[in-house]
Amino acid sequence: MSAVERPANAPEAAPAALDVRDLEVTFHRRGRDLPVLKGVTLRIEQGEAYGLVGESGCGKTTLAMAALRYLAANGTVDAGQVLVGGQDVSKLSEDAVRKWRGEQIAMVYQDPATALSPAMRIGDQVAEVFRYHEGMNKAEALERARESLRRVALPDPDSTLRRYPFELSGGQQQRVVIAMALAVNPHLLVLDEPTTGLDATVEAEILDLIEELRGRINAAILLITHNLGLVRRLCERVGVLYAGRVVEEGPARDIFTDPRHPYTMGLMRCVPRFGMNKTDAALQTIPGTLPALGEPLEGCVYSARCPMVKPVCVRREPDLFAWPGSSGAEGRAAAEAAPADPAAYSPHHANPVGEGPRHARCYFSAEVADMPHATPVLASSLEERGADAGDVLEIGNMSRTFKDGRKRLTAVNEVSLSLRRGETFGLVGESGSGKTTLAKCVTGLIAPDTGTVTFEGKQLKATAGRRSQDALRAIQMVFQNPDSTLNPAWSTRAILTRAVRKLGSGGSVRAKVDKLSADVRVEPRFLMQRPTDLSGGQKQRIAIARAFAGDPTLVVCDEPASALDVSVQASILNLLVELQTKEQVSYVFISHDLAVVRYISDRIGVMYLAELIEVGSAEEVFNPPHHPYTEALLSSIPTLNFDEKRTRIALRGTMPSLSDPPTGCRFHTRCHRILGDICVNQEPPVQEAVSGHTYQCHIPPDELLRLQTAAPAEQPVTSSEA
Amino acid sequence: MAGDGTNLGPNPDLQTEGWRPDADPEMLELQADAASARQTEELHADAAAEREQRRQRRYLVRALLRSPTFMTGMVIVLFWVFMALFSAYVTQSPTNVDAAASLKAPSVAHLFGTDELGRDVLARTMAGARTVLIIAPLATILALLWGGIIGLVAGFYRGYTDEVIMRLIDVLLALPIVITSILVLSLLGTGLTIIIITIGALFTPVVSRTVRAAVIGEREREYVMAARLRGERSAFVMAREILPNITQPIIVEGTIRLGYAVFTAATLSFLGFGLGPPSPDWGLTIANERIYLQVAPWTVLFPALALASLVVGVNLITDGLGRVFSK
Repeated sequence: MSAVERPANAPEAAPAALDVRDLEVTFHRRGRDLPVLKGVTLRIEQGEAYGLVGESGCGKTTLAMAALRYLAANGTVDAGQVLVGGQDVSKLSEDAVRKWRGEQIAMVYQDPATALSPAMRIGDQVAEVFRYHEGMNKAEALERARESLRRVALPDPDSTLRRYPFELSGGQQQRVVIAMALAVNPHLLVLDEPTTGLDATVEAEILDLIEELRGRINAAILLITHNLGLVRRLCERVGVLYAGRVVEEGPARDIFTDPRHPYTMGLMRCVPRFGMNKTDAALQTIPGTLPALGEPLEGCVYSARCPMVKPVCVRREPDLFAWPGSSGAEGRAAAEAAPADPAAYSPHHANPVGEGPRHARCYFSAEVADMPHATPVLASSLEERGADAGDVLEIGNMSRTFKDGRKRLTAVNEVSLSLRRGETFGLVGESGSGKTTLAKCVTGLIAPDTGTVTFEGKQLKATAGRRSQDALRAIQMVFQNPDSTLNPAWSTRAILTRAVRKLGSGGSVRAKVDKLSADVRVEPRFLMQRPTDLSGGQKQRIAIARAFAGDPTLVVCDEPASALDVSVQASILNLLVELQTKEQVSYVFISHDLAVVRYISDRIGVMYLAELIEVGSAEEVFNPPHHPYTEALLSSIPTLNFDEKRTRIALRGTMPSLSDPPTGCRFHTRCHRILGDICVNQEPPVQEAVSGHTYQCHIPPDELLRLQTAAPAEQPVTSSEA
Repeated sequence: MAGDGTNLGPNPDLQTEGWRPDADPEMLELQADAASARQTEELHADAAAEREQRRQRRYLVRALLRSPTFMTGMVIVLFWVFMALFSAYVTQSPTNVDAAASLKAPSVAHLFGTDELGRDVLARTMAGARTVLIIAPLATILALLWGGIIGLVAGFYRGYTDEVIMRLIDVLLALPIVITSILVLSLLGTGLTIIIITIGALFTPVVSRTVRAAVIGEREREYVMAARLRGERSAFVMAREILPNITQPIIVEGTIRLGYAVFTAATLSFLGFGLGPPSPDWGLTIANERIYLQVAPWTVLFPALALASLVVGVNLITDGLGRVFSK
């Protein structure tokens, strides 16, 4: 039963799976009180899947922790109630709470590697749940553990029981965690970013599993994620959290097709939609940043960033008004008539005003569909970026092998590619396919075993330490982790000054630093601060400024926006596009997010098991005919579009080890279009679909095009793992 | 984008004119207010950033001040530092011989009693802190300096350099500290400088291991890679990039070594490798007076307790620092 169909004032038939009422949670850190949740109310009916979305720092995980009574020692519940299946969580005794977790409520955490004990065999860990909760003996519990592993479709449960967590892949580990969470049939399953650290293909498998399990178990689901696509796939209802407040909630389909709060709308516009490219349109961003915890807010929590803000928004915070309905307009009239003294109002308005299936905390819900767009900044065409001048970079036959004990892991195997001035080369592939190693070989952080980097006609030395200052200046890198990319002991200005001193081409250092920080839109006041005082987006902007200190020709970007929230990610991507248009710089852009790569790249290379298996223009690679692996990768992206019916191609098994790659075609062990022995025994030829678009497969382009454009029903869909 | 069923508002390519917040005069005013507020805020931003840093530092200091472990240790150690410097003004003379009052039990005149030469044990105990408090900190600083450099080099270069250095360190670690010191001091003769250098050298291997471990944790971080891509020399990366980020483990290691150095210094002087009589040094006193242990236990008891209290005090500081840093 979903809340949408729940009749108003229905008699309390069955208690909700989760009923959060006016919840206020405050953290106490270094002598300060930081309110994290400010009067959150939400209700998840039994068997319902509810998605909670919002940027990091909005309070999503805190809400889950409060529901599990797992709040950190410095967090307190100041007001409100959490009821799980009708039971007030705060009234449970310490002993009861341990039993209650697992039987009533269970959680799946973001990182499966840390959720499992590394020192215990999988069997013992899963069996422990049954022994503790159902008092079984060891043999019975092991038998039940085997059953529950089978339920999450783990291949060969018997051998898995005997393994240690490190012997399983990330996806398999997450399956075990899910099996443990579901072991004793809890009424509420909390999933906190369950697929965030996983590859797109594995993510898709986990989602399939959760979807399939929902048909068989009757647990309600609370899905916490920043990925709107996940919510759209799994959930019936959505709540959008901003700065500790629910700003919009309602049925998923309604909210995703017709958002009625400016924040929801902003979030959805930030994500590059599938197939979008930088030359089509700039990404929308949300200006400003999430208010810091403890920062005093006047009026609507979103007013400081809202493009539709009006005086009344700052004057008094809106309630959660029913949409569609008249309560928003009434609330607005009341707020406008009220005296302009914020202190005169109660600090929170948690309860939904009016009945109705959906609510938005905005006076102007009716106008959200017409929310102004930022002026689009389009990227210039490749020619305008100087691509006609020819190749700037050429990588010839590059290989790199690492030693791991007696094993030899080939991370990059005979990769060749070239790059033109002002061009962006996107590199995609699952983790462990060798993308980052290739990038580090290009910059000289790792010396390749064989192969050359030719830059503007001159062959470069293998390692950065041996390259000239000029060569270093020309090829720079932007790293993935905003928290470790800047030296925490240096001020931001010192970091940029040093980079300009070492790489700059003369002139006033101070003027160059100021120009760089202006180019990346970091206000001068932040230059005095240390990286720990900056937000993730600001740190990444400084890191980009540092890479541009010597006016580089090529910047290698290794997942530069992956660790950031979508709104920040969009602004970083826009910044990179803008800098490219201005400076005619080339990028090698690595990302596991295919929509992002599609958006920013002119050409794309797909890596699988250390080899570049497909190269072509962004458009060609993303459309048939393309390599079966690319086809499978593309089919695994969760979409926000409700009308699109895509058939997902599940890859069989897990990625083979780099130390022992399969014979013939490297992809044949997982390929859904395998032809037979030829794929197993013969290395595939390089096929040319159109000029400049090549892939390695035994299937010729015409045939591949026919197969891939055929009706989805004909597509062989293999289920789960072999 | 076309045909996708999501209503995300007007297409930006077709329409950029939408509803603008500045259409409303009252909103304009509000925004102007906000802008001027932002400007003032920016003017004060540097000050604010500095305030925030000061606040963080103050927090650390306050956390230390609130830690009973750290404070107890600090009171004990500061007491002995004070006594080492000013005991002459507080107590009787530690070297004033009074044959008539030899081996007197504690009394009002001599709170800790007197030794075989009638010297005041209280005065000698208080003054005895001096040598230990010269040797131990200086030896520790030497060990941190040498160990820091070795650890930085081994951890930063890794590979062959690291292997060679660490195997040498392993050999040095296998040497028993006291026996080796005795050997060195017998060869080179005693004296404050040589004792300090010997203890410093013998503590170097342990320090270098700690520093190496910390360096290995930092060197793979991306800011170090960025420095390499900038063409920085290795010495610069070690001293300016990595070192400032590993000061906390180095400080904690330093206080641990300090405790051991106090102990080692006292042991050496007990064995006769420190200052000679009539110095009131604790180790020396315990060695000299131990023959009177049966008849006049106070002559040994008080210097021994003093020594123990100083070691305990230093260790309490270590504990307190470690706990506050790890928070």
